[in-house]
Amino acid sequence: MHLDLSELSQLAPIFRELFKGYHVSRRDPELYAQLSNFQDQYRTLFKALGFELVCDTRGFYYFVPDLAAAQVNKTAQRLALFTFILVEHLADQGRDPIAVLDGGSLGRDELPSLLEKYRDLFIQAEVQTQDELEEKIMRRMTQLGFASEEPGIYRFLPPMHRFLDVCLSVQQDRDLAASLHSVLPLPTPVLIDHDSDEKLLETDDPLDLSEFVEGEDSEEDALARAIAEEQELDA
Amino acid sequence: MIEPKRVLRALAEHWALLEPLCEHFDQGTLSLAELRSQLAAQQLDSTPQDITSLLDVWIRLDILVPVAKSPNRFELNAQIHDFLAYLRREHRLGLCLEIEAYLRHLERLAGYIQDAFDIRDSNDLARQLRLLDMRVRDVLKKLANDEQALVAVAERAKTSDRQIPLRQRYAEVLATWDEYVEPMIQLVNADGAFEQGVRKVENVLLRMLTEQQRLGHLVDDDMLLRTHARILEMQTSAQLTLRHARELLLPLREEARRHNAVTRGAALALSAIRRKGIDAVPQAAMPMFTRPQSTFLGSSGQVEAYVYALARFEPKPARFPKAHKSHKGEAPRAPRTVKEMLERCEEALPMPDLMHWLLEQEPDGATDELLYWFSRLSREKRFKRERLERRDYHTHEHQVSLRSFALLSARDDQPENSASTPHAS
Repeated sequence: MHLDLSELSQLAPIFRELFKGYHVSRRDPELYAQLSNFQDQYRTLFKALGFELVCDTRGFYYFVPDLAAAQVNKTAQRLALFTFILVEHLADQGRDPIAVLDGGSLGRDELPSLLEKYRDLFIQAEVQTQDELEEKIMRRMTQLGFASEEPGIYRFLPPMHRFLDVCLSVQQDRDLAASLHSVLPLPTPVLIDHDSDEKLLETDDPLDLSEFVEGEDSEEDALARAIAEEQELDA
Repeated sequence: MIEPKRVLRALAEHWALLEPLCEHFDQGTLSLAELRSQLAAQQLDSTPQDITSLLDVWIRLDILVPVAKSPNRFELNAQIHDFLAYLRREHRLGLCLEIEAYLRHLERLAGYIQDAFDIRDSNDLARQLRLLDMRVRDVLKKLANDEQALVAVAERAKTSDRQIPLRQRYAEVLATWDEYVEPMIQLVNADGAFEQGVRKVENVLLRMLTEQQRLGHLVDDDMLLRTHARILEMQTSAQLTLRHARELLLPLREEARRHNAVTRGAALALSAIRRKGIDAVPQAAMPMFTRPQSTFLGSSGQVEAYVYALARFEPKPARFPKAHKSHKGEAPRAPRTVKEMLERCEEALPMPDLMHWLLEQEPDGATDELLYWFSRLSREKRFKRERLERRDYHTHEHQVSLRSFALLSARDDQPENSASTPHAS
């Protein structure tokens, strides 16, 4: 492919932003227009330099790390956790999570209650105070191009689709769902105690199955419980 | 018997009052008091007597009918309601089962037509053909109505408040899909009732056309051809309606499904994180590009010196070698590469003392360079290291006190090595 560097007028700022891990979307009209007009040229040039440029059709561009060199990214984990929390919080409130995360906004004043409600989970992201939430998550989201800060609100940008995709891939992960079930306590086997033996002996009718019928009932109950749990999980 | 003209005249005359009422009747029935207040609101200058007489007229013309067992509640006569809905383009989605029932009836009619033809009963044949034709028109009318109703379903979903939950917003779409579109797909399938019915009627009509040529005419050929054409039109119309329905509702349904999947995924992830920590959700560690960070070994003093030097950096004038001058003295040595050093180190294995070996190799080497190689080589995975006691080493310019390593090849004793833990330096 022939590369005309004079065409790539925004090469320096584009590289500078992408190299920081920033996601370029329509929020940066000049950079975005350049990238979408000369998408192939930029991709080829960056590829030759050892950088993988991803052009997402939902309207954003970003670098992905070399898979071999990629390490567990703490920031990504933290931001993903925040997305999970936000999706659940919005769904709980009867709001549409996708409408909010795809171009919608979150009020700054909503953060304290969010932190309070999900304190146990935020601790895993090393976030314990409102300042830490703003610093380690919201500011990071802004720096990486996932959100933009406007007076009193954070507006989410198209690159948030990357985290929504994470939600979808978790949903499709059968192993994860199975591992969640496996940690449920195993049913404790019911041992027949001596009393019940005696009770059995007390019956005159050798074909009396009343004891076993009881057992069957409890099995049905257990099945109903299991189905109810399953449905709860599905809901 | 109510004269049709009077009903139509009343509808035309009171259209302005009836149309807004239709919306209320779409939702349910109205009590007499509610009806009166609605009408009074629309006709501000009317007296209660005017409203009573107006309601009387509507009830007498059967436009309004009392609700069964609630004489004080009224609803629009179902036929009139349908007619008004048609005029107002307010279509209610029918049931797929209705279409199926019509089709079964078409199949039966095809059988009767065949029977009438076999016994050469031209009157019955003409009657059955007319019935068939009307039934096909019924299906066509229903399909057109359903298509409009589907458009309305999609529009309602798209225009409703974005703030209400998607599940609620698209409830109607999802229900319509399950109750109408999905069964319609089955119905219009190649082996579904629609195709079967149409094929059966078509076969009877075509066979009759040929038989008429042979046995003489019982009915006009044109009539048969017209009916045949209408049957084909019905088939095309059903396919078009279905395609339209899919185009309208599928994206909305997908959006709703995606929404559910996202919410469910998030809940699943949170539940896993609560139980097993963030690492239990490998998807959360999404690959994200980070600026490569330089890893360099240096004491705080060195960093300070480095920053100080950076701040006062002045470029040296570049001196290019002159072509006519031959190079005098010893050529400056090229810096050692990691590969070169690793190879040399590997050759020297087993090595009782790494620092000692380095000093032997580079007796004139700068201290920071030697320390760099010490750090780099001792961390190399292909070597197994064992820490030695602390002692002093003398470089070209410094005395360094450190705990050096003895290096062995990691390949020589793989099984032992796997159990040993590396020492932190």
